[in-house]
Parts: sequence; C-alpha cells; structure tokens
Amino acid sequence: MNKKEKTILDEIISSIPNPINSKISLLQKVQARFEYLKEEHMKYIAKSIGTSYTDIYGIATFYSYFNLYPAGRHTILICEGTSCHVKGGQRIRKKLKDMLGIDIKETTPDKRFSLKSIRCLGCCGISPVIMVDKETFGRVKPTALEDILSKFK
Amino acid sequence: MKIQKLSDLEEIGKIGEKTLRRGKPQLIFGLGTCGIASGGAPLKDFAVEYLRKTKTDAGISIVGCIGLCYVEPLVDVKLPGKPRVTYRDMTVEKLKRVIDEHLIGGRPVKEYALAQLAGELSVNVNCPLESTTPYEGIPTYQELPFFLKQLRIVLRNCGVINPDSLEEYVARGGYKSAFKALHEMKPEEVIEVVKSSGLRGRGGAGFPTGLKWQFARNAKGDKKYIICNADEGDPGAYMNRAVLEGDPHTVIEGMVIGAYAIGASEGYLYVRAEYPLAVKTLEKSIKDAEKYGLLGENILGSNFSFKLNIMEGAGAFVCGEETALMASIEGKRGEPHPRPPFPAEAGLFGKPTNINNVESWNTVPIIIEKGAAWYSSIGTKGTKGTKVFSLVGKINRSGLVEIPFGTTVKDVIYEIGGGAQNNRAFKAVQTGGPSGGCIPPEHLDVGIDYENLKALGAIVGSGGMVVMDEDTCMVDVAKYFLGFTTEESCGQCTLCRVGLRRLLDVLDRISTGEGKESDIDTLNHLAIQVRDGSLCALGGTAPNPVLTTLSYFRNEYEEHIKQKKCIASVCATLFDAPCQNTCPAGTNVPGYIQLIRDGKYQKAYELNLEDNPFPSICGRVCEHPCEGRCQRGQFDEPIAIRELKRFCVDKTLEKKGKPSITKLKPNNKQVAIVGGGPSGLSAAYFLTKLGYSTTIFESSGKLGGMMRWAIPKYRLPHRVLDNDIKNILDIGVKVRLGCIIGKDVTFSELAEKYDVLYLAVGAQLDQKLGLEGENLPGMMPGLKFLHDVNNGVKPHIGNSIVIIGGGNVAVDVARTAKRLGCEKVTMCYRREKEDMPAYTEECDAAWEEGINFHFLVAPEKVIEKDGRAVGVVFKKMKIGNYDKWGRRTPLPTEQTIEVMADTIVTAIGQVVDQKFIDTIGHEFATSRGTIKVDKYNQRTTNLKVYAGGDAATGPASVIDAISQGKNAARSIDKMLSGEDGFIELKKKSKIKYSMKLPDNEKKMIRQKPSELLAKERVCSFDEVVQCMDARCAKKEAERCFRCDIMSKEAKE
Repeated sequence: MNKKEKTILDEIISSIPNPINSKISLLQKVQARFEYLKEEHMKYIAKSIGTSYTDIYGIATFYSYFNLYPAGRHTILICEGTSCHVKGGQRIRKKLKDMLGIDIKETTPDKRFSLKSIRCLGCCGISPVIMVDKETFGRVKPTALEDILSKFK
Repeated sequence: MKIQKLSDLEEIGKIGEKTLRRGKPQLIFGLGTCGIASGGAPLKDFAVEYLRKTKTDAGISIVGCIGLCYVEPLVDVKLPGKPRVTYRDMTVEKLKRVIDEHLIGGRPVKEYALAQLAGELSVNVNCPLESTTPYEGIPTYQELPFFLKQLRIVLRNCGVINPDSLEEYVARGGYKSAFKALHEMKPEEVIEVVKSSGLRGRGGAGFPTGLKWQFARNAKGDKKYIICNADEGDPGAYMNRAVLEGDPHTVIEGMVIGAYAIGASEGYLYVRAEYPLAVKTLEKSIKDAEKYGLLGENILGSNFSFKLNIMEGAGAFVCGEETALMASIEGKRGEPHPRPPFPAEAGLFGKPTNINNVESWNTVPIIIEKGAAWYSSIGTKGTKGTKVFSLVGKINRSGLVEIPFGTTVKDVIYEIGGGAQNNRAFKAVQTGGPSGGCIPPEHLDVGIDYENLKALGAIVGSGGMVVMDEDTCMVDVAKYFLGFTTEESCGQCTLCRVGLRRLLDVLDRISTGEGKESDIDTLNHLAIQVRDGSLCALGGTAPNPVLTTLSYFRNEYEEHIKQKKCIASVCATLFDAPCQNTCPAGTNVPGYIQLIRDGKYQKAYELNLEDNPFPSICGRVCEHPCEGRCQRGQFDEPIAIRELKRFCVDKTLEKKGKPSITKLKPNNKQVAIVGGGPSGLSAAYFLTKLGYSTTIFESSGKLGGMMRWAIPKYRLPHRVLDNDIKNILDIGVKVRLGCIIGKDVTFSELAEKYDVLYLAVGAQLDQKLGLEGENLPGMMPGLKFLHDVNNGVKPHIGNSIVIIGGGNVAVDVARTAKRLGCEKVTMCYRREKEDMPAYTEECDAAWEEGINFHFLVAPEKVIEKDGRAVGVVFKKMKIGNYDKWGRRTPLPTEQTIEVMADTIVTAIGQVVDQKFIDTIGHEFATSRGTIKVDKYNQRTTNLKVYAGGDAATGPASVIDAISQGKNAARSIDKMLSGEDGFIELKKKSKIKYSMKLPDNEKKMIRQKPSELLAKERVCSFDEVVQCMDARCAKKEAERCFRCDIMSKEAKE
C-alpha cells in the first residue's frame, strides 16, 4: 500500500463521524473509491479505527455487496427473484455464462465484465431483469443480450 | 425558509399547486426504476428534443410509478381542462404521433391509449386531480379491470406528483398531519389514534402498530430511536420501492409523527443497496425537509426536534429482520438477536427503538388526517385498511395493486390480473416471498387478511404475489426458495444453517431423478424441526414453501420420485426437449423433425412408431400439448409439430413405403386386451413389440374405437386409420371381433387363460341430460349419431338440428350434420365461446361453415308434440363471478328461449358403460363409474388385471389413451419379466439423426397447411386439412431450435 492510498483511506475514515459504529458505511465508501476491498486496506482500516482485522473481514464477507476481488469494468447483475425465475431467468443466466465464458462471481479475462447474481432488483413487473452497472433492463430476451452488452465497452 | 406556521405550509402548498395544475399542456413521464428499465428515459429525451424542435410550449413532468407495470413504458398527456390520458407500450414513433395529434392537435390517439384520469383516483382530497369530462372512446381508470377493486391510500400520490418536489407533496396535503400532531395533539393522543385505526405492521408480521409505539413510549431511556425498514428483500416484492421513489415524503412525515409520539430524537431509514434511485431520492427529500424545517431542530416551529439519517444496506436479506437490521446500522454483521429484550426496550445501540415498514410509516399521516374511524372502516374484522401487493409472474396484467383487506385472492388473480398469460393454466400463487407459501386454485376464494392466509400455510408478508402456471414445477419452486434462504442464513442457528442446506440437498436429489420414497417424509419432518428450532423468522419461515408445496402439490413430488418425471419440463436432468417431455407418449419430436429436415421421411415415420403406433391419427386430431410447450413459441411461433408428424407419414405412404418396426424375441406369455380402441390397440402394439402374444377382444365388427366411430371422416379418413391399424396387425397382434365379454366369453375365462388382462373399453356412452322426454323420438345421443354416420348409416335428421354441448363431440356432430345436408345447424352451449372445451380450430371451422351458436343457454325442458321431441326450452344464463379456475360461472336468469328443431342431439360428455362394470364386478370400480387403477402402474385391485384409457381416466384425448396403453404395456412387462423391456427396445433402434445445433435465431413465420374452403367442404366428407408440401415442411422443420441438443450439452 503506497502513501497515496493511505492518504485516501485516512480521508475517508475522517469523513465519518463515528467510524467504529459505522463500519459498513465506511467500507462502502472505500469500495466505491477502490472498486474492491483489498486485504492490506482492510487491515489498515481495522488498526486505524481500533478493531481487529477479523471484525472487518467478518463484515466484508457477510454482506454480498462487498467484493474482495477486482471486478471488471462493468458488473452485470442477473436478477434471480421469484418472478424473474418463473419467467425464464435461468435461460438469461445460461446465455450470459455462455456468451462471456465465465461463471457467476467471475470476471472476463479482458476485465470487461463481471457476472453476479442478485436475489431481487425489485422490478418484478417487467421480469426477467438484469442490471449492468447502474442501468436496469427489463423484459430481457436471451436474443437481446448481445445488443445490451454492446453498449458497455 | 423554515415552515413555522400553517400559513407558511399553505404558501409552500400553493407553489406545488402551481406546478401540479400547470395552465399549459403537459407530457408526463413515469421514471421510477421500472419506467426507466422499460425504456422510459429515451422517450423523455426524445420529447425534450422534439418539443424544442417544433417550438411547442408544453411542460414535461416526471412522476413516480403508478403501478401499471404490464404496459410500461407509459407517457401521459394532459391538456388544461381536459383529462390526463395514459398511453401504453410507448415507442419513439408512437410518442411523436401522440405529441403531434394530441399534445399539439388536441385530439387523443385512441388506439394507443390505455385509460384516462378524469378525476381523483385515490382517497386524497387535497388538490385532487382535476375533475373533467372524459373523452369518448377511452376508458377511465376506474373502468379498467386493473383498477376496479383498488383503493389507493398508500399509493395516493404515486404517479401524480414529482417525487423530488416537496412543494407538490405539501399541495396534496403533505405535512398538514405532522403540523396537527405537533401543535394540536399530545404524543399519547397520537398513539391512541394509531391504535384505534387498527393499523398492523405492513412488514409481514402484522403486529398492531399503535401498541408497538406504546411500548416504545413507555420504555425508560434518555434517548430513543425510530427506524424505517426499507430493506425490501423479498424476491417479487417492490411496493416499498415504488413509494420511496414515487412519494418519499409520506415516509418522512410518518416518521416525524411517530418520533414525536414515541419521544425519539433520531431515526434511520435503512434502504437496501439494490435501490440506488430510492436512496438518491430520499437523500434529496431529507435535505429538502431539513431546508424547510420539517426535520432537524424545532420542527414546524414546535419544540420537537428529530434527525433522520439514511443508511444503505449492503446486500443481506437477513437484515430485513429487525434485530439484524439494527446490528447492521451499528456496523456489525447482520446477525439476529434473541428477543426479549424487544427493540422497544433495548434496540439500536441498546436504546428503546421502534421499527416499522415503509408502508406503515406512509399510512400514518393519512390516518391522522382522516381519522381512525375512517381507516378502521376499511378491511376485515381482524385486519384493517389496505395493502399494496405486487402481482407478478405468469400473469396477464402485472403491477402494483392496492386493495382493501378482505378482497379475495381469486379477484386479484382473475378480475384485476386477467388470469394466467398466454392461455396457460393457472397453477398457484406464491404469497409472502421465501417466508410464504403457495395457494392452489382450490383455496382462491379466501379473503386476504393475516389470519386467513396463515390458516392456508401462506402469509401476507411483504405483499409479493407471484403467479405460477402449468409450466412451473413446484418442486423447483421449493428448491428455488431454499436455495435463497440457505445462502441468506446468517449461520448462527444449527437448524437453520445446516437444516436448510439438508432440505436443499434432498430437493436437489429429487429434481435430478435421484429421489427416494422416504424423501417426502424426511422433508416434512425436517422442515418442521427447522421451523420450530430457529431463532429468527428467516429460519422460522424458510420451510414454508416446502411445507405448502408438499401439502398442495404432493403429486408433483411423487412424479419426480416414482416416475423421474417433471411434467412442467423444468428440472432439466429429467428430460431433453420440453415438447417430448410434454407429449404423453414421449414421442421423440426433435428427432423426427430433424429427419424431415434432412428428407428422410420414412425414418421420421419409424421414429414416431417407436413411441406411438398412431402417428397419422395424432398428426390430424391430436390437441398437440407439445406445441404449447415449444420453446420456439417464446421467440416467434411454436413449430407445427402435428402437421410435420402427419407429413412424414403421408409422404411415406405416398411412396408406398413400409415402415420397419423393431421387436424383441417372443416369449411364451399371453395377454388379453379387452377393447380395440386407441388404448387397447396401443397396449397390444407395445406388448407385441416386447415379445408377448396378445389378443384383442373387440365387441364391434371393426377395430378403432372412438377413432373410427366418433371422429368424422373429414378430420380422419378411414383409409388413414386402417393403415395404422394394419401396422399393428402386421407385427402379430391377434384379434377377435364381435366378441362381447360376459356373452361370448366370460371374464373369468379370460382371467384363467391369459397371464394378464388389460381393460380398455373406453367411455362410449353419452351422458344423459337428466330431462324428461330425453328418450323421445327426435332426441339423439351425440356419439350414436357419429357412430351411425361413420358406419355408413345416414340418420334422418330433417332440416334443422340443435346440438346441446360445447365439446369436440358436439362440434363434430354439428359439422357432420351440415355435410348431411341439414340447412339449419345450431349449437347451444351453457357458457361463452372462449369457454368451449372443443379445440379452437374446430370451433372456428364450424363458424366458417355456417353453423349457428347460442351461448349462455342451459337446457331446461324438452318440448314434446304428438309423442315426439320438437324443440328445447333453454334457460338464458348470465355471466357471474370467476370461479377458482378462472372461468366465469354461468348464473340462471328468469328468461327462457325456445329453440325448435327436427332433431335434438345431446353431447354433454361421455361415460363408461356400467354394463361392463357389472360384468367384471363392482370391486373394480371407482365412485365415478370408471375402473380403479394405480396412477403409476395402472394395475387394478386384481394383480393380474390392468386398465387404462377413458375407461380408467374418464373422457380424455386420444394421445392420453395411446400413452395409457403404452404405459400399461411397460408395467405389465416389468411385472411379468422383472425387467424393463423398453430399454432393450430403445437399444435396438437403429435410427440416427444429426446432432448439430442449428443456427436459426431469426424470425421465421410458421408454415400453415392449406385447407378446403368452407363453402366447398360442407358438401362432402373429404378431408379438410391438407398435407403440407415438401418445401413448406422443410422450412418448418428448419425452425426447430433442437432443445434436445442444448439440453444434452448442458448435462455434460
């Protein structure tokens, strides 16, 4: 960990009034800045706010939003909610896996896409649904996936 | 400026009113997450650009979700003084036209319009939607089935106001209640009002809100908290999101009132991270509220101060549980704690805390405004008010629906939702997400409230209602939910952590064909233990989907275990192609379609014969359940599987080809088959292929059963039937015609002489009307009519004929009568056209041929004259409510109608001839008069006697009868030889076909065979539907996706 990263982490920690009681928000900010939670960063944060690495690691692994590995430039979230499931969400999942050549929780070799599944995006009225970065797509057909992904370089 | 007096509030309200009641034309866009995901944003961008280009002076408003998800993206147009018109399924092209013609030109585009708002839709009375004269030809929202039963309280502003505008919220009455509470009421009074209203927590548990507030108020502590649980994690539920994105201030105001009542000085809005737009909207709303003095110090000029924070979740379903949620706010792992102590005593950071759901907080201001008595007048005795439900899944009209408690599930599914999509059969509705259960058709009549749903094993929960149809596998549903809860379990409790995983393992085995007979008991037993032994509601309710699916759909579990069959074609390991899996006979559809594509017609015919001895018949009259499940149907249109089947047979016969049929070595066992119809012939065929010596005993002079006697020749020429029968006779099946059991040979003789008997006598008698005079001359049973005609005997029917009934037999009689020269042919059916059980294509053909129809008439009396029936008095029926199966119940009116005719035919159903039951003995019969058999092996109560076809099932289709014969042959073989000869037979099959995945994902129209024109065909019994030509057949075969190849590859 270089000095620049240390400075950024210090900034983030001091931007939170009571970091020991706001560990989740703290880690969310760190991930927003560095894209994922690196081990050395987590260790530094633990020391700085006065807790153990185990504590921070325990939180990072409990909540599915935290990535402990570098993600691709774009994250594809496949919704596996009930409505998406009964309306063919599995076909979307399979097509994406085939198209990208990776499994869920993996990143393409060219680091363009990461694939994740998520339990419900709350767009059940227009299922099946996927989300790429912060954009949501509804009524997705397997044949439409090429077009959707082509927008994300 | 800080709002301190009522007049300040009113001033802000006036600003809001100005934007709500703009004096110029408006375009309104719903841009909640769903609106955007449906493509709403590019529409708005286009509109902005187009208005600028055309220099149109119109405003653009953004509103939240109105709940009409099934027709998104929506765009609304409002001209001053005119109703607001909602346009559905909008595209840029359509929007351009709407802007030109309606916004600028002043004339609504009716064909794009869904409905119009000609007045206020919700219970809100402040700055209501303008009351205007509706445009003609466009239904009002109140007239839409989707809105008919809705009562919009929670959703009072959604889709009406700009969610980012606090001013518009105030115009609609916002923060008046907070003002009233803070200045005119004591905290205890506020609590009393909430108590008397009967409001129960909308998060799922349904605990009385007022009481909960009371506990928190009474608790001792220097600092108290309130929390809004906006961690809407239930898959299928998104009603909280709609409120947070569309009308966020209702929640903030509710929390201000609640904090005041309880004495809390700080609060948290815990929003799940998966709702980024909601988080953004709330952040802005809180800032605005603080700016106006509605949050922070001295709210609304009172002594009360309250700070509201937002916390974003991080993706853990368990954090919806209140103690886990509080742990999460404290920055810890979201692990639930035992209660007591309850949050009201010691909650967040150890302080007294009150947690409520988004909808609960949202409802508080309107209860304060309109009073507890008003609220408690809505709903049922035990559950007051309304609830927003998300009606999603396989439903025609999906979206957010707010209904008073007490509305029946049936009304939600059929009246509001329009029933299951694509004419698939409704199977169940899952309520309450992973904590809930499924409700099958039998229980749809229940009025929705907390107690009623609990009694069924389901819950109201978050309000998610996921509709499932016949293509949903209930074992897979249980597995799906358990997959979810297993992952989301925090892991503290062994029974939850390990128990759920073990339940999932069992379900996994069952869904991959490795289920054991003991598994059902294991699931029940373990599910109950997990339910009772878990600390929090996640583990406590996770077994519910298993328990309810086992309770209502046990047959599906049994089929998966005993037959390794997934009837819904979902559990991928258990089948290759859904068409083949759906065919009762298991015909290798992709195989023969590939062979047709490659020009190998005879091989295609032979491949059919491996599973079904009657391909030319099924190729003409089968109701093709395979096509209903064809995956191509999701892309453009299903493959014409039936027509292709007929094609390969006809082409082979044209070239005088003789199909070769594989057989095993003969053994010395003998089987007698009673009945030479489709089921008996099929059983004889397969048993002979398996090596048995079979003899068919047929009471009439010819083989064929209903195929010969009931199906008219214009649908099934007899030369075609005779050809199929010849194939069966040629492999060595013996026949005794004109042989009646009990007369020419006794039942016990048969039982003695043969190793096994198969009874397939069908259901060949017409069901009686039960009316006096039904045996008079002039009355005729439908099957007898068809039998005579097929036998070459022309019945005297005169010039006019009336047929009572709506099934295939009735339509066959009608079309036959037309061909016999009868001028006036009328069908009389007691329900409506779309309810007729006859094939749609048959009904349409009858219509084209000039047959008349009376719908909604039920026979009441036979009109007699001189000892002859000359007509029927029918009671006119009217449409009643939906029954549990989605059909409207016909109800009698006072009116009658007399229909006179030379001949009256009854065709209301078929029954098994009870004389046969008398012959074999009533110990063989069910209470319905059919032969009692084991569902899986088709054995009767006598170990040597099997039965199948209509005689066992009651009237069913020809493919059902054929598959029953095949299944019985298999069971008999297993019983007699101890092995499964079908596996041997499959090995002997030498038919190979290409396994190359086709590249055909471009739209191609479905090929149609030609038909004789209606005017020509009514003069003869010539076959109406023609065979496809080779070019069309090849094109059609090329459309097949070869789901079997994809499936095989996936399994590897």
